[in-house]
This record gives sequence, structure tokens and C-alpha cells, in this order.
Amino acid sequence: MKQKRSPLWNRFKYMKPIERYANEHSEATYGDRAWENAYRRRWQHDKVVRSTHGVNCTGSCSWNIYVKDGIVTWEGQQLDYPSTGPDMPDFEPRGCPRGASFSWYIYSPLRVKYPYVRGVLIDMWREALQTHKNPLDAWKSIVENPEKAKRYKQARGKGGFVRVSWDEALTLVAASLLYTVIKYGPDRNVGFSPIPAMSMISYASGARFMQLMGGPMLSFYDWYADLPPASPQIWGDQTDVPESSDWYNSGYIITWGSNVPLTRTPDAHFLAEVRYRGTKVVSVSPDYAESTKFADDWLSVKQGTDGALAMAMGHVILKEYYVDQQVPYFQQYAKMYTDFPFVVTLKKDGDKWVAGRFLQAKDLGRNVINAEWKPVVYDENKKTFAIPHGTIGSRWDDQGKWNLHMVDEETEQPIEPRLSFLGIEDELVTVHIPYFSDEGGKTIERVVPAKKAQTEDGETYVTTVYDLVLANYGVDRGIGGNVARTYDDLVPFTPAWQEAITGVKRELVIKIAREFAQNAIDTNGRSMIIVGAGINHWFNSDTIYRAVLNLVLFVGAQGVNGGGWAHYVGQEKLRPVEGWQTIAMARDWTMPPKLQNGTSFFYFATDQWRYEEMPVDELVSPLVKKARYSHYADYNVLAARLGWLPSYPTFNKNGIDLYKEAIANGKTTPEQIGHYVAEQLKTKQLQFAIEDPDNEVNFPRNLIVWRANLISSSGKGHEYFLKHLLGTTHGLLNDDEDSLRPQEITWRDEAPEGKLDLLVNLDFRMAGTALYSDVVLPAATWYEKHDLSSTDMHPFVHPFNPAISAPWEARSDWDIFKSLAKAVSDVAKQIGMKPIKEVVATPLLHDTAQELTQPFGKVKDWSKGECEPIPGKTMPNIHVVERDYTLIYDKMISLGPNVAKQPMGTKGIAWSAKDEYEKLKKTLGTIKHASIAAGCPDISSAKNAAEAILTLSSTTNGKVAVKAWEALEKKTNLRLADLAKEREEECFTFEQITAQPKTVITSPAFSGSEKGGRRYSPFTTNVERLIPWRTLTGRQSFYLDHELMHEFGETMATFKPMLQHRPFSKKRPEAKGKEIILNYLTPHNKWSIHSMYFDSLPMLTLFRGGPTVWINKDDAQEAGIRDNDWIECFNRNGVVVARAVVSYRLPRGMAFMHHAQDRHINVPGTKLTNNRGGTHNSPTRIHVKPTHMIGGYAQLSYGFNYYGPTGNQRDLYVIIRKLEEVDWLED
Amino acid sequence: MLEQFLWVIFPYIVLTIFIGGHIWRYQYDQFGWTSKSSEVLEKKQLRLGSLMFHWGILFVFVGHVMGILIPESVYATLGITEETYHLIALAGGIPAGLAALIGLLILIRRRATVKRVRVTSSRGDWIALLFLAIVIASGLSSTLLNVDSRGFDYRTTIGPWFRSVLLFHPDPSYMETVPVWFKIHILAALSIFAVWPFTRLVHVFSLPLRYLRRSYVVYRKRMPKQAEQPYNIH
Repeated sequence: MKQKRSPLWNRFKYMKPIERYANEHSEATYGDRAWENAYRRRWQHDKVVRSTHGVNCTGSCSWNIYVKDGIVTWEGQQLDYPSTGPDMPDFEPRGCPRGASFSWYIYSPLRVKYPYVRGVLIDMWREALQTHKNPLDAWKSIVENPEKAKRYKQARGKGGFVRVSWDEALTLVAASLLYTVIKYGPDRNVGFSPIPAMSMISYASGARFMQLMGGPMLSFYDWYADLPPASPQIWGDQTDVPESSDWYNSGYIITWGSNVPLTRTPDAHFLAEVRYRGTKVVSVSPDYAESTKFADDWLSVKQGTDGALAMAMGHVILKEYYVDQQVPYFQQYAKMYTDFPFVVTLKKDGDKWVAGRFLQAKDLGRNVINAEWKPVVYDENKKTFAIPHGTIGSRWDDQGKWNLHMVDEETEQPIEPRLSFLGIEDELVTVHIPYFSDEGGKTIERVVPAKKAQTEDGETYVTTVYDLVLANYGVDRGIGGNVARTYDDLVPFTPAWQEAITGVKRELVIKIAREFAQNAIDTNGRSMIIVGAGINHWFNSDTIYRAVLNLVLFVGAQGVNGGGWAHYVGQEKLRPVEGWQTIAMARDWTMPPKLQNGTSFFYFATDQWRYEEMPVDELVSPLVKKARYSHYADYNVLAARLGWLPSYPTFNKNGIDLYKEAIANGKTTPEQIGHYVAEQLKTKQLQFAIEDPDNEVNFPRNLIVWRANLISSSGKGHEYFLKHLLGTTHGLLNDDEDSLRPQEITWRDEAPEGKLDLLVNLDFRMAGTALYSDVVLPAATWYEKHDLSSTDMHPFVHPFNPAISAPWEARSDWDIFKSLAKAVSDVAKQIGMKPIKEVVATPLLHDTAQELTQPFGKVKDWSKGECEPIPGKTMPNIHVVERDYTLIYDKMISLGPNVAKQPMGTKGIAWSAKDEYEKLKKTLGTIKHASIAAGCPDISSAKNAAEAILTLSSTTNGKVAVKAWEALEKKTNLRLADLAKEREEECFTFEQITAQPKTVITSPAFSGSEKGGRRYSPFTTNVERLIPWRTLTGRQSFYLDHELMHEFGETMATFKPMLQHRPFSKKRPEAKGKEIILNYLTPHNKWSIHSMYFDSLPMLTLFRGGPTVWINKDDAQEAGIRDNDWIECFNRNGVVVARAVVSYRLPRGMAFMHHAQDRHINVPGTKLTNNRGGTHNSPTRIHVKPTHMIGGYAQLSYGFNYYGPTGNQRDLYVIIRKLEEVDWLED
Repeated sequence: MLEQFLWVIFPYIVLTIFIGGHIWRYQYDQFGWTSKSSEVLEKKQLRLGSLMFHWGILFVFVGHVMGILIPESVYATLGITEETYHLIALAGGIPAGLAALIGLLILIRRRATVKRVRVTSSRGDWIALLFLAIVIASGLSSTLLNVDSRGFDYRTTIGPWFRSVLLFHPDPSYMETVPVWFKIHILAALSIFAVWPFTRLVHVFSLPLRYLRRSYVVYRKRMPKQAEQPYNIH
């Protein structure tokens, strides 16, 4: 390259004569122009790399990352998505300003650049290593010394980090992990990382490590309260929703508690575009949300009362389109695809009739397999009860009758199911239906037409689900009962009734309900409801959801393109699921994985259970005199005992010791050991850890957090975390002196503080969790690693590619867990650890035959002598698992032989992956060094792991997809393989998806079809191909007959008011000046999550540069607060300090504190705690709902992130007042 | 020996640094060659301080040219008497010097008290201000202490010495009778020339004199070699 000209020399160009033109008006000079290059270089770059953002925004947008001189300079949207088809808008451009600002973060002062350990701990550690012969003894000398342990635990969150080497940090963590394994059991080491789809290899890295170690992974979907329990309840499916382009197929859209432009920014254009097509958009939102701007009608509902609104709309639809007229499309849909025609018993409760449970083949004495699991319908043709195909009993009897053909499974004759017994009833029976309101519960008398049925227990009355639902909604059928004659009657659930609760005018409710149904008639079901967090984070969100979702079921909109529900709350669709779960759960080496529901774990680990005040009795059905238990935690003990929910740490003994004990007692086979454990439990020689969570042998000891910000973003009950789990300074204003006492749990007056020995965080940002961790490991960002991302918003699988290598000492998550595995193996070798065997308990799982273990929804507790404890039936499964900690590393980096030996599959179907395993040996190469891994495919790099996932999964490998469909064909006796046949030859590779996004292949792992370029909509294969839903009836459920659902009055959709919560029940801090009490809500933030962090300078610059709380202008005036004043919001759970944003956008009575406003940015002190204000989660805590804990019963069986109590936190109030003095605590 | 160093060796060292430093700075720090205006951070005080200082220092500079570079004989030839010269020098010099000093004090105060200016100041900025303050204060005090026209005459001592240095015939003997306050002023001035190239003072040489005679529209030609290699990537 030419030498740069001397600038000084260039100056002498002045000496050259100047050419002048145009009458000396202009001139040309030879002056130096090198300076121009500075401007030219602004947009020059050396390379462009395709990557994406691993955040839980469900966007999964593909981005170009631009690199110049080894520095990431900016990013730009990818524009090469495959077309959606000729008559539709395309996906591109995807990506929002938050994502576009990420490159700032890589080089920001918040970046974690080196491994850190807090000084007080590393000093002790170094000293201990000097005096002890191995790391294990050294660690023991610290944690078993109460004074030392207290010293480093109390230092958490108070700075003092010192830079250490990778080796030193990893050895420390490895020592603690192994110490815990040996002393307390492998299940005391816990891993937490959310939402695998956002960066599935990173998730898999740690999950794989945890499973090889025998440590449980915690679920997140339920813990985040993003899981809608209504989805498993209705469909037996975790969550399956349309991609955003399918909105364009809709004729009528209601956005219900979902703020599409804010939280689904890259998808919002479809909502704008479909309006140009003539689609009407209705917004249901208490505040004037961004999405409300899209709407033609706005239903400003009082927050948390959406259930009432939905019930009233359902009332209108049932009255006008089912009773007053019968719409053929709706009738047909209801009979084929819902449980409307199924028959339910009525039982006498004292002198009242109440609804019972589904009438099963067993009741009728039918001689069929799984007769307890085959609910019946009434066949109009034969005038008798008949068992249709597709019930859950037929799913597991392998007779090829698990399909939705309305055919009698005994006679193979077609059935004409009756929706209602009206007209053929033997009697009109008045049933008592539970009703809930702010004034308390009461029962309503409604009349149903009933028939008599001869059962094994004698004659009983039965009716249909349809008849019950009509009665429940209070629709007048001319048969009496306390029903609504007009919409203006103040009877549940009329439009007039809801007006007093929701504040929405009845005329508007009637109008929208009619339009919604009429559109479905006109378009064959293209009516859609986009639901979101606004109605999902409540204690009773499941009843709200069921009331809302009933609307799409009533009008036959579900399973139709452009129709049905669309739930976008923290939900991401991990498309290549089979390959991913093989690697992530280390199924290629060891089974079963330990998977724990997050909410229960944190509820006990952070001791939030100790502070319950409202007895369960206040929440149960008025038909039930008293709740089974008064304390929520007791239900969780029941759930653990009966195998409903997982429960790690499991027993009050180390699983390794338990195994040795069983052997010492002469038990050898896993069955014998299982019975031994059952016997020990029965005789109370052995206890579940959950029965004594504050006993130190039951503490979780090590918690590894990655890809998450647990302490300050998702940790609801923040101050409880600080106090009990971490044992450091906290701002809790609550005590447990006179809280509820549990029955099934040992109460210890002295609550433990600092349960965790180590909190380890892998992150690239020094945020809440890192600041409270003992060990912080620097992770690579999304522009520095190989990974995969997918979402439910679009049908592509996107790659992450490193634009730059991980800077400073950062490493990718995959590499960090690999090196941690190495450190563990090395320490294990150093201390001469031998292979061990461990007793492992797992819950009764959905999509396995175990969902048929506890029939009739009857709770039988073996600990009360109601039945025998039988592993895998009346209690958890008991397994024996062998682990060799010296081999963790070898297993980590290789794809184990179980891939070829064991069947692979998902959702209850299985096939062989032998061919793919052989192929991977060739494409990835094999491990060469002599070890257990020799000859196995090499997945030591994240890219290889990604490649293996793509090859093993049905959505990304056509051959596997066809195999999967063929497996489902066998199960259902349907022809299905054609759904994937056209793409059988395709197998995605990492290079291919890096070159251009590819639409995934239709697979039975999900319920929609992409065949022929079709837009994804859930349950279309159920509707069109007659694949049953994975529910009790095989159909979409209006009725849930489990005993606990009866107890809580939730067999059918209903309205339940918010919990009646007060900021303080006693001992409130002294009131000073004016204050106001508001419902405290933490919705998503426009300027940070999901796609960027709040502490990013570009985002802070956009809005007030620090924490804010939004309140209504009149509320603010009442409390004497002006815009931008500093305020404190507090209740018994804690305090938050922020600036007030005073706005007319919000209705009165609520305060918004946007989620995850990082506490390390501009938070002054408060006199209430003499500390800085807390996080947005400081005034929150979780409320667990017992109905979410049901298990062992059809779709109400456990699945990881599928079912389990949600960590909801909306039913809370705070006191808000002006901050007396803004003290930055800087002296 | 000291005299030799102060009035012969030191001036040449300064001259070397001054010229060499500017060449070096211009070659290697094109983007740093700037007046480093802080107007965007603070305007009010700057307007007063900067205007007073710059106009003052311009007249001071003209005065120095008149007094030091132009030999006394030129004035004699023109018929300007000693008294007249002194009157002109004092009448012009004292107000100019005072304006420069007051302006500078405002600028110093501004830099020290306005937070945003203070935190964006570099060491060079402070050095430039400090040296300017010493030079102006010592120069002004020399002038004020020498109001009496029959006192010390720099036109027969400092002037010839200065010119002798520039003509490479340095003669330190001219400096023998110079009062100490003048010497301080000279040494301070020499010091400022030594640090000059490394501070914002370089902007003196970027006075846009070209504006006086350029056309309204200026096209920059691409150099023939640049045309082959349009982007000078290094």
C-alpha cells in the first residue's frame, strides 16, 4: 500500500496555482483530502457475520453483525427470510431498536471481563489450600466453620470482587460441587437457566453438565408465571401458538392483555398490515397501551377482572349461537373437537346435587383395557353410552384407536354424539355451582337435563359437559334455575353482572362478543385472541385464561389458520427439540434427568412459605366446607409425596447413602430398592426433604445461574432471596411470628439464613445476580459464540456465529461448562472418587403411561393409609443411577451411545436414531483419545453440538420427521407421514442456516403444519388429521374433574377475584404525610427487556435514565406527588425507590413498575431499610396455587415447564409516598 | 556560563522544540490540531473571557513586533522620538495587556469552576493557561515598572539580543543590564514556546487567512495518485 503523504507536504500544494472558474466564483484546489477517509471509514467494515440475540423476547431476529478492525461496530437487520407466499407480507424486516443497540454492551463498563471471586472468600480459600491436602478438605474447612461461612455469605452483594484465574475459580466451584455430592447428595447442586430456545446450546451446556453431575435443573416458564396453566388443562399441551404471520390470516383479532408493539416489536407489522386487509382489532387493556392504538374498539377493563369480561362474552355467545340458534359449524366443531358431548356424573352432596366426574367405561362395566380412563359420550344412533376413539385410555392401550374418529371403540360403528340431554332427559336436576366474588363465595342453583345411568355403583344421574357449561354460564334454556332472562339481569355471568366488576359497558361487551362469533361463522373460525402477560401473571390467571379461551373454542376458532389463541408470554418454541433434549439432558449418557419445578424450589429455598397469612380455606369452593390443608406448602408436600410434582432435594438423606443402605439391607434390583424406599417412607424412617426444608441437610447448596438474572430480574420475593437463600443484608419488612403454620412440615422457629454455600453466575454483565454471586465467570455474548435460536413467532431456526472471538478472558457457556466438567473430573481423580450409585426419584410424567396412574382424579394419600405407597403409581418413581465423577468431562464432550441404543422421541412417541448417530460419527468426527468416549461423535465444540441437534431433530431433519410421523401413525392408525414426506431429503446444517434462514419441517413434536409453505397455526393437525389432543377425553377440555379442581371450584371456567391483599397486616412503618395504596404491577419495559438490558446507555438515554414507577395523575395528586418526584413504594415484602412518572395513560388504582430496572443504576437510599431501595421484585412475593400441583392424572400430570404452580406476583398492593429525602448514601 | 546557557543555548533549544514540535505534531496528530473549543459546554463566560484575551493578546503581539523585531534605528529614521514611541507603546500596551490578563483570568476561573469544562480539561489545557498567565503577568508588570521613559530601554538591549539569536549571531552581552523582571518575562516566554507545539496553542497557526481570498465555491481535486487508490486505508 502506498505510503501516506505527509500532511505538511500537502500544505505546500498551496504553492500550486489555483484554478478559478465562473468569474472567480469557484475554484479547484489540490489540498489534502486524506481527512475524508475518516468519514468514509465510518461505514466501512471488514466482515459481516450472521448472528442473533439470545434474549427472551421471542423475537429470534436474524442480524448482520459488522466488524471493523476486530471490533463489533454495529448491527443491521437481515433481509433474506424466505417469503411467506405471494399474498402475504413477509417477515422481514425483523429486529427492534433494543436489539440494534446491543453492540454497545460488548464493550460497556458493565461487561464482565475476568473470573471474579469475592476477596473475603478467595483469601480463605487460598489459605485453606495451603493447609489442606486436597481441595475438598480445603472447602470443608471453610463451609463447616460457621464463623467463616457467615463471613463470606454476609459479604454477598457488597462488592469486594477480586480477579482470579480461570483455574482457581473452577477448582473452587468443583470442590464445592463434589463436597456437596458426597456430604448431602447430588440433588443439592442446582442449575438455573431459562428459555432454552433463545440460545439452546448455551442452555444445553449447563443443563448437560448438571445432569451428568446428578443435579436438578429448575424450570422457568412456570416460575416466571409465563406458563398459562390453562393450556395444559385444556389441551394437554404446554403452549402452542401461531407464528406472527398467521395474524394476517385472521378476520377478527382481540389483543387481550398483550402489548404487541412493545413486547413483539418485530412482529407488530403483521397486526398493522392485517388491518389494511379489513380485519377488526379490539384491545382489552386497563391502560392506554401501545397496542390500543391499533384497535377499533377499546375495552378498558379493571385490572385482574378480565375473567368476568370473558365470562360475560361467553354468556352472549352461548345464548345467541348455541341456544337461540344452532350454528352448524359450531355444533360440528363442538362435537368433534371438544369435550362438550362427554358425560359427567352428578352426585349428591348432602341434599344438593353437584357435578361429579366424567362417566368412565369402567363405571358402565365395559370390558376394555384402561377402562378407568375411557370417558364416554351419548350416542344418538344407538341411544346408549359409547366410548369414542381418542380417549387417553386408548392412547396407552396400543390398539390403534387413539384418533379423533367419532367411532365406537368397541363396535367400530360411527357415533352421533349428543351435545345435550335436553329433550331426552330423565329428569331436570338442580345443581349447585360455586361462585366467587369479592364478598366471598356462594353457590348458585342452576338446572341441567339429566339422564339416569346404570353404573357399577348403582344408578346415578348424568349430564353432559355442554349442559353443565350452559348452566354454569347462566344461560336461560327455559328449564328454570337462577339464570339470566335478559342480559341486563344482575346474574352471573351476564354483561350487566360484569359491568360492576370490570367497568366495561355491557353494550360494548355484547357487541364484541357477537362480532367475534359472527366473524367465526363467516370465516369458518378465523377469530383470534392474542393473550399476554397482562392477564397471565395473576394468582387466578388460569381461570381468566380458561374463560378467555372458551371463547375461541365456542366459535370453532382453534386449530384454524388465523384463529384461536395466541399466547406470547416468555414462550419460545424450541424447534429442534428431540436432538436438543438428548444433549441438554445428557440422555445420551444417563437417564433419567432430574428436572425440578422452579416455583416450588424457590418457594421453599427462599422460605417464602414461612410467611403465608391467608388460609387456603378462604379460596376454596363454597361447596367445600374446608380446604384439605390451610397452608399452601402442605399441598406441595402432598404433591411431592404422591409423585405429582418433582421434589429436589428429594429426601432428607443423600441418595448415595440411601442406595448403600438399601444394599446393606439386601435389596439389589431397582424394584426392590424402590419398595425399600417406599417402606422407609411409610414407616417414616425416611422423609421427603420438603417436609423439613429448613433442616440444614435439606438445603440446596450450590446454585449455578447462567443466561439469567435471578437476583434482581426474575427473583420474585427479592428480599426473601437475600435473607434466607443468600444470608446477606436485606430489606424485608415482614416476619413470620404469627403466620400460618403447616401441618405436614416441620416448623423451626429459627429460620435459616444463607442456605447456599455457593452462588455461581456465568454472565457477560455485572448485574444483580453477578453482584450477589460468590463466583462470577465471564461469558461470551451473542456475537462471540456458536449457538441456535428459534421461536414461536416465526418458523426458522437461526444460528449464532462469532463475529469476534470472546474478548478479554470471556468464554462461551459451552466452553465454561466444559472446563468446569474438566475441573470436576480432575478433583474427583485427585481425591480418588470411585463410581457411585444413587437413588433418584422422578414424578409421574405427562406423555408417558404414568399419566394413567391415579384414576378418577381421586386423591389417595398413602401417608394417611388411603393406599399403599407404590413407586411410579401412588408415589414418585424410584430409579438407581450410576455416576462416575472422574468421567464427567469425557461424557460432556462426546455424544454418548444411548442415542443409538435407546429410542428417541417426544410427546409419547419414539423411534430409533441409529442411522443419524452413525452419520454424526462421520460428519463430526469421533473422540480419539482412549476413554469411555472413544469412538463417540465429537461435540467438544458448540458448533458440533448444534450440528448434532439439527441432525437428530424431526423439525430439521426430514428423515427423522418422517420416522416421527410414522411412529405417530402406529399410535393413531392415521395416515400422517405425507406431512413431512415432501421434505424427507432435507437435513439442515449449520452452514445452511448461516447462509439463509430455512423454514422448519412439519413434525409431530408440534401441532401445526408448515406443509407446502403454510403458515404455522397450532392444533391444525389435530383438527384436520384427527390426531387427538393429549387430554383425558382426547378433545379440548371445558371440564376438569380432578378432586382438587372441585375443591377450588374450578371444574369449569369461572370468575375469581384478585386475592385480597393489604400492604401490611400489622407493624407497618410510621405513616408520614400523604400516601396512596395501589395495585403493584410489573409489566414489560419498553426501554429494556426483553431484547436489551435496562443498564444500557442507549436505552437509559431514551427515558429518564433510571428507575421509574408509573402512576395515574389523580392518584399522584392525592398523594402529593408530582412528575419526576422520587417516591418509595413499599409493603411488607420490601421497598422500591424510583421516580414517579405521572400519566393519564394509566387508570387509577394501579402502579406500573416496569420489569427488571436494574438496581445498580441510580437507586438512592430509603429510611425504611436504611439501605438502597430494592428491585422491582422487592415488594413482591409469590403465591402458589394448589390446583397447579395436581399430577398423575391425564393432562394434569407433570412435565418440565409444562405444569406446576406459577410464580405469580400480581395480586399485591403497595403504599406509595414521596421520598422524604433523597439520600445517595455516598458518604 | 549561566548567561551563556540562558541567552544562547536555551533559546536555541526552545527554537528547535518549537519548530520541530510543530512539524511533528502536524504530521502525526492531524485530528489533534485544534483549538479544542469548549464553547459547546459553556458559552457565557467564554464569550467575555475569550474575546478579551484574544484581542488583548493580538495587540500585545503587535506591540512586541514593534518593540523587539523592529530596530530602534528604523524609528529614528522615521523621526519618531523616544518619548513618542514610549507613549504609543504604553498607551497601546497597557490596555492590551490588561485586557489579555483579565480575559485569561476569566478563562482560568471558568475552567476551574464550571464542572463540565473542568472534567473535560486535559493537562495540556492547564499548562497552556498557566504559562500564559505567568508570561502575561510578568510582561505586564515589566511594562508597569518601566513607565518612566528614561529608565531601561529594551530597544537597545533585548531587541538586539533577540535579533542576534534569530540571525545566528547570538550575543548574550546585550542582556547584562536587563532588569530581572524583564528576564523573568523572557524566560517565561521561552518556556511557553517550548510547550507550545504540544498544547492547543497550535491553533494560532490555523488562523483561516485563506478565507480572505478564496472563491465562494471550492472544489478539491482528487490527486492523481489518490484517484487510483481512492480509499487510503491504513
